[in-house]
Amino acid sequence: MPERGREEVDDLCHQAASDAAMAILRKLPEFRGESRFTTWACKFALFEISTRLRRHAWRHRRIELDEQVWDRLADSAPPALTRLEHTETLQSLQRAIRDDLTDRQRLIFQAAVLDEVPIDVLAERLDSTRGAIYKILHDSRARLRRAVERSEGKEGRV
Amino acid sequence: MKRDPLEGLLGHTGRDPGCEAAFEHFHRYCDAALRGEDVEQEFPEFVNHLRNCPGCREDAEGLLAALREIESD
Repeated sequence: MPERGREEVDDLCHQAASDAAMAILRKLPEFRGESRFTTWACKFALFEISTRLRRHAWRHRRIELDEQVWDRLADSAPPALTRLEHTETLQSLQRAIRDDLTDRQRLIFQAAVLDEVPIDVLAERLDSTRGAIYKILHDSRARLRRAVERSEGKEGRV
Repeated sequence: MKRDPLEGLLGHTGRDPGCEAAFEHFHRYCDAALRGEDVEQEFPEFVNHLRNCPGCREDAEGLLAALREIESD
């Protein structure tokens, strides 16, 4: 890693450690001894660091709806897509993504699942929280699953 | 058992509490995992969330690795 990049990452880790220490002090009254203290405290440090590193890694990459995503994925499909071998199911899914999701659901599903953008990065870019973005992703997946099952049911394939 | 072809894209269908609720269980899950307990049995919803959420899965693996490193020192 170049010297400047290493300094940036070091700086990120120091900031994260400082924020984690603050979070631990703030949450200390809530510690109920359900785990070892070290485990409980490390959780905050790890979350602060991992979130910052993911955002740092994606800082120069744009996130946008891309109608050509399926064509691009033909060459570099994420593992989830390569496992989907049934062409008709894939077509039903593409249709459902187009017809059954809102713009925001489509953007988040495409970014998180097809482009593998981390949810923390999406939360930052969309001025939201990790929990709220995950909820939209979860609801989108449920909606798509119902749409695909409905479509396959009509075709007598279920 | 037949694999659900949509699972990789659309996630597992079991109950998933989401990232914020899962965060509250991370420390208990990791301690139980380090003790070698059956975490699938003990934390079924949390484990389902880890299957569906790459970020939380990565964080859980990272936390476990860090704790193992601390234990070995």
